[in-house]
Amino acid sequence: MGLRARLTRRTRDWIRRRQGADAGPVTLRRGRIYILPTGLGGAFGLMLVGMLLGSLNYGNNLGLALTFLLAALAVVAMHACHRNLEALIVRARAPDPPFAGSDAAFGLALANPGRAPRFDIEAAAPDAAQAPVSVPATGEAALELRVPTRRRGSVVLDRVEVSTCFPYGLFRAWAVLHPALPCLVYPRPAADAPPPPRLPGPQGGGLVRRGEDDFAGLKDYHPGDAPRHIAWKAYARAGELLVKEWSGDAEAVPVFDLADAPGADLEERLSILARWIVDAEARGQAFGLQLPGEEHPPAPGAAQRRRCLAALARFEAPAPDVR
Amino acid sequence: MSAEREESFRRLAWTTLGLLAALAPHLLRLRPWISLFVLAVAGWRLAAERRGWRMPPGLLRGAIAGAGTVGVFLSYAAITGLDGGTALLALMSALKLLETRTPRDHTILIFIGWFLCLASFFYAQDFRTAAWVLPTVWLLAAALLPVARRGRGGPGLHPFRTTGAMLAKAVPVALVLFLFFPRVEATFWGAPSSERALSGITEEMSPGDISDLTLNDVVAFRVRFDGPLPPPALRYWRGTVLSLTDGFSWSRAGAPLPRETAIAREGSVDYTVTLEPTGQQMLFALDMVAHWTPGIAIQSADFTLRTRRPVNAVLRYDAVSSLRYRTADPLPQSTRHANLQLPDTRNPRARALAARMRADAGSDAAFIRSVLAMFRQQAFRYTLTPPGLARDSVDDFLFNTRQGFCGHYASAFTTLMRAAGIPARVVAGYQGGDWNPIGGYLIVRQSHAHAWSEVWLPGEGWKRVDPTAAVAPERVERGIEAAVAESELLPGALMRESPILWRLGMAWDNLNAGWNDWVVRFDRAMQDGMLVDLGFDDPDWRSFAAALGIGLAAAMAAVFAWLAFEHRPRRPDPVVAAYRRFTRRLARRGIEPAVGEPPRDFAQRVRYLRPELGVTVLAITEAYLRLRYGPEPAAEDLQRLRALVAAFRP
Repeated sequence: MGLRARLTRRTRDWIRRRQGADAGPVTLRRGRIYILPTGLGGAFGLMLVGMLLGSLNYGNNLGLALTFLLAALAVVAMHACHRNLEALIVRARAPDPPFAGSDAAFGLALANPGRAPRFDIEAAAPDAAQAPVSVPATGEAALELRVPTRRRGSVVLDRVEVSTCFPYGLFRAWAVLHPALPCLVYPRPAADAPPPPRLPGPQGGGLVRRGEDDFAGLKDYHPGDAPRHIAWKAYARAGELLVKEWSGDAEAVPVFDLADAPGADLEERLSILARWIVDAEARGQAFGLQLPGEEHPPAPGAAQRRRCLAALARFEAPAPDVR
Repeated sequence: MSAEREESFRRLAWTTLGLLAALAPHLLRLRPWISLFVLAVAGWRLAAERRGWRMPPGLLRGAIAGAGTVGVFLSYAAITGLDGGTALLALMSALKLLETRTPRDHTILIFIGWFLCLASFFYAQDFRTAAWVLPTVWLLAAALLPVARRGRGGPGLHPFRTTGAMLAKAVPVALVLFLFFPRVEATFWGAPSSERALSGITEEMSPGDISDLTLNDVVAFRVRFDGPLPPPALRYWRGTVLSLTDGFSWSRAGAPLPRETAIAREGSVDYTVTLEPTGQQMLFALDMVAHWTPGIAIQSADFTLRTRRPVNAVLRYDAVSSLRYRTADPLPQSTRHANLQLPDTRNPRARALAARMRADAGSDAAFIRSVLAMFRQQAFRYTLTPPGLARDSVDDFLFNTRQGFCGHYASAFTTLMRAAGIPARVVAGYQGGDWNPIGGYLIVRQSHAHAWSEVWLPGEGWKRVDPTAAVAPERVERGIEAAVAESELLPGALMRESPILWRLGMAWDNLNAGWNDWVVRFDRAMQDGMLVDLGFDDPDWRSFAAALGIGLAAAMAAVFAWLAFEHRPRRPDPVVAAYRRFTRRLARRGIEPAVGEPPRDFAQRVRYLRPELGVTVLAITEAYLRLRYGPEPAAEDLQRLRALVAAFRP
């Protein structure tokens, strides 16, 4: 590890020890804002030194005045840069879980309680950066940090750097947040999975039978119910979406079982299960999930999909990917 | 044009404008080809950005850069030094403009702009230059703002206004630095040489030199008298003594001569001179100077004051002169010899004339009188625009043209004196001065430049003889405007005609004089005086450090407070604040409004939980709702709400 990288690591660890973990909204107080000159700031400083030496050499008072005015401008810019971050309220929000391999889009809300707008606020997490935004006076701005995920389980947003170089780019002020914000990562649905097994079997096995032959009554509509089962007449009467239920029909309701999923290792099999779940939900089908020691009875809809994919994400989950 | 192109054009326009503003003070000073090149490139570059033309390829730019450097070298004989350096900087900024695309290019241009501002102060520190440079610095900083930004747009960001607000905050900090940064005599590299072509008296005089100066209304120096103003006829400001001649022009003697002494007689005047930069080593003082600010100059054998280094910045000195004086006898042999020197082959007719007139006159004094009478009585004319003279300039002037300016008369007179065996020399300096009644000081301008003669007579020593006074006595008594013909237009003629313009001119000069005294000439002595006034006895570097530290801390605190004020949180509505106070008090007793619970529901809940508070709670809630949502709430309602809340003790 190079000296620079080591130094960066040490600084980060020190900041982490100093500040501890953050929960909930964080107000950027003076104590957690750091500021250093940028490369441009260094060049500006060198220019000022040159101007100072020239003015002293020629005994030129107005040259000195010009040098001092520019130096004072840099000092004011430093304060303004610091102030541009100070008292901002940062709220981090966990995103909807992504599939492994795609980005977890953590939301970051910046609230400005002051009467002056803030300009060019940037946010960065490891492997994720966001273009600068401005926050209007007593207003809010939203940022999105798209953290790439590598594997199933969970990704934890542990380090967010909020920074600004405004106004002149001479200084960079930054604050570090440790939101420790976890986000589940679903297994990536396998690209080509075999179709789920269609085995008629006993209760709790492959399929649950539910009839479609005799009308058995009405039940509440859930997203995912087949449109052809909607009781349109009842809808016209009462304005409520109801679904007709039939008894004794032959539609098979699948319960996906880890044991049925082929694959070389656990991850591959989970991927196949994810594919089955995603496809079944997309078709509007009800489905269940059976994992060792965990059972999700069949149901249709997005909530069921979420529940089941989360179960896959958590099942014998690898250590969280802390960023 | 796309929004992106539009923004890029605007950025470039800001930078170019700032750069041109920084170049403006130099454009007239630079060689015309450089100025024209810079302007042409700036115009082309903006048009190219607008129209989307292609930039010239790198090879071409490199070739132009090389040719330009050679051109500067040929024009200035150097690419270092102030003139060459500035020319090169101007040229390079134009070339940089041709390849400016990235923020980095812009930044370099803006930095060059600031350096050009500094360079313009090396040329002139007057008020006008400063008044131009300050907005230029502002403009350049404003140009840096959009360049250095990483985001776009944003609510209400105007680069010029935002930068103005920053500069306003920077001024106190800069002021503290300016006042308390100790001025040191520092030379890090070669002292600036007198390469600068400043107009003014020089160590050499050819016929016509001074008449050029007369057209120049620029201030040479300003004088404040401690006591009465000497009469115009005695305002002879000695600058340099020219005793070496080749028959055409005069120059200062190279070899040092033995020291002579002057004996003051009467008419002592005490005054302070604020001298504009001359690029020369001479100081100007009334004849005959007796005392001057110690260490600032040494007196030469010819009674002139000379500094160690060329005066390249405004210089102030005190002096005491005796208006009537006598120099000591006898004249040292080497000095006598030097002041009789004439080239053998030059001006034969003048020398013959001198021999004849001296023989006729019988005495030195009578000879001088007869020469002056010749100038007065014969057809000699005093004019600003004399014809050019041949190589034997004195002969040409005395027997041919007979039109001349002070230099011609001084040169001819001195030559005649020497030819007759009287030690004589030309003295160059200024004569007269304009009184500024607003500031109460004398302005001596380049147009007051003058040359006269000095002759040495046994028993009397060096005596001033002004042959110009013989031809045009008004020149000495009432100034040059009175002496020249109406048709010869002098600068500032209009100003002298109109009383209002004249007063405005004097007020402007007074402003410049104050600027010189308080800003340009602000030096260590003034700093020490200021520190003593602030209570530091016997200031040393610790006093400076303390003053600088305290001053900077105060200025920074002001910046900090100002920024904090700008960012202060918005004060909540007083009605909401009062209601919030009420809910906070209840919260301390464990009763909190649920999220989204309407005030009336909350009040009912409180009444249920704490029946004894019911009446007050309902009153507060109703008053609050009336103020918030009712039509035309009255000021008393708010007072009542506040009083109810203040008295509310759950």
